[in-house]
Amino acid sequence: MSRLRTSSLPVLLLLFVGLPVFWAFPDELPLWRATGVLLGWTGAGLLLFSLLLMVREVRLASSLGGLERITAWHHRAGMAAYVLLLAHPLTLAAAGWAESPELAWQVISPLSENWPVWLGWVGLILLMLGLATTFMSRLAYGAWRWLHSLLGLGALIGFVHILQLGISAGGLLALATAMLLLLWRLLRVDLGAAAKPYIVTSVRSVAQSMVEVTLKPLGVPIDAAPGQFALTAFFRGPRYQGCGEFHPFTISGIGDGHELRIGVKALGDCTRRMQRLEPDVAARVHGPFGEFLKDVPSRPLLWVAGGIGITPFIGFLRQQAVETPTTLIYLYRGEPDAAYLDELASLAKDSPGLALQAVATGTDMPDMNRLLPEFAALANHECYVCGPPGLIAAVSQALLERSIPNERIHFEHFDFR
Amino acid sequence: MTRKLYIVSTTVFWLVVFGLGMTSALWNPVEQGDAQAQGKTITLAEVAKHAAAGNCWMAIRGSVYDLSAYLPAHPSPPDIVQPWCGKEATEAYNTKTKGRPHAPYADELLAKYRIGTLAKVP
Repeated sequence: MSRLRTSSLPVLLLLFVGLPVFWAFPDELPLWRATGVLLGWTGAGLLLFSLLLMVREVRLASSLGGLERITAWHHRAGMAAYVLLLAHPLTLAAAGWAESPELAWQVISPLSENWPVWLGWVGLILLMLGLATTFMSRLAYGAWRWLHSLLGLGALIGFVHILQLGISAGGLLALATAMLLLLWRLLRVDLGAAAKPYIVTSVRSVAQSMVEVTLKPLGVPIDAAPGQFALTAFFRGPRYQGCGEFHPFTISGIGDGHELRIGVKALGDCTRRMQRLEPDVAARVHGPFGEFLKDVPSRPLLWVAGGIGITPFIGFLRQQAVETPTTLIYLYRGEPDAAYLDELASLAKDSPGLALQAVATGTDMPDMNRLLPEFAALANHECYVCGPPGLIAAVSQALLERSIPNERIHFEHFDFR
Repeated sequence: MTRKLYIVSTTVFWLVVFGLGMTSALWNPVEQGDAQAQGKTITLAEVAKHAAAGNCWMAIRGSVYDLSAYLPAHPSPPDIVQPWCGKEATEAYNTKTKGRPHAPYADELLAKYRIGTLAKVP
């Protein structure tokens, strides 16, 4: 990643936090009160930064280092904002403690007839509830998304709280920025204004609970490469009613007429319904995102795929032959789950540089130390891992133990909750 | 890691809030008289002489307050509060933020700055 792209997010963070803190920096306040004010503004800046990172524009995502990096920063900034905003009223209360505990309590008491305090409480409790749902990984995506939006509402109410304190310029600017970012996200991403119209032309089963869907563009196609992913939503067809939610799917192939092939595994309610997709179902595709197999260097490659994590690799191999010695270790639970296995075997047979190692692992995590080549065999290799988080962690750990430098281990998560 | 941070910070927050509420409820301060301050009568003309940010008196609800030291700590920007220096500011005090009065917290804080009683206009 270039230095400019690496530094883009820290620079933006500095701007979003530094500007409000500089503007609101208290000159002559007692220490506790000044700290409370600064905690509030730092939290507000972090919240705005976190909202900015919800916006999913192709160019913006690329210039900020990719959607996965953006999502990780979105989570960190949101969490940091939450902790600071919890500390904000407590620190203001501490400022009153020197006078009396009663005065300290009145600063934050929700029983006092005080709009700024009430709004502060409502905003904080919404942040609390919204953040709690982000940790409920078993919640259905649709319900999770609506509960997660409580965070946006909490942020807006927090900025109205600033306005009610009489801080008009700062409050208005923060509120307007937050509304703009939330509206942008809602229209462009959730309602699909940034997505292009496509139509399903074929659906074929490639494994148990997994289909490969071919989509034809109805207008301008997205400029995608195999191995990237696109946020795709399916709508109505002759006998099919899609859930209309945008989910990330890896592109497993691109046709001459810019048709996209994507792999869809049944992982939740919506993707389970997609297993019944049929031709002529309307779809919208937003992307492409991700740079997992972009700019692969000219050195020996180690590819490790787990389950549906095979999709970017099959996409790459369908598009081009490998130019350097490449070992593909493909891990799957059992034969019925092994998507594209026959096609991969055929590609490996025709490509002398490609060595395929297909391993049925059962339900347990395989012993990576036994599966992966020793350090001597991996020297100068560039390593790419795609699969469930547990597999990525295990493979990355085993590679690091073999003294493979961190910058030569590449992986991409596909969960953007 | 993030999940743990959420649980720890939220728990600590509620424990502190609950502890503060309980301490406040059980707090029984000794009544402090302010006879000296109540005894001094100040006219509105005298108040008007203190109309600067660094020398700010206000008449509120029949009392006079020297808010010079507090003004920098007020949460609102200076242009909202300063124009009331040297004036009868009861209406402004009672109708901040869309007609709502200040909170009891502010009343208690205000009492610290009381310097006398406003002289009644004959």
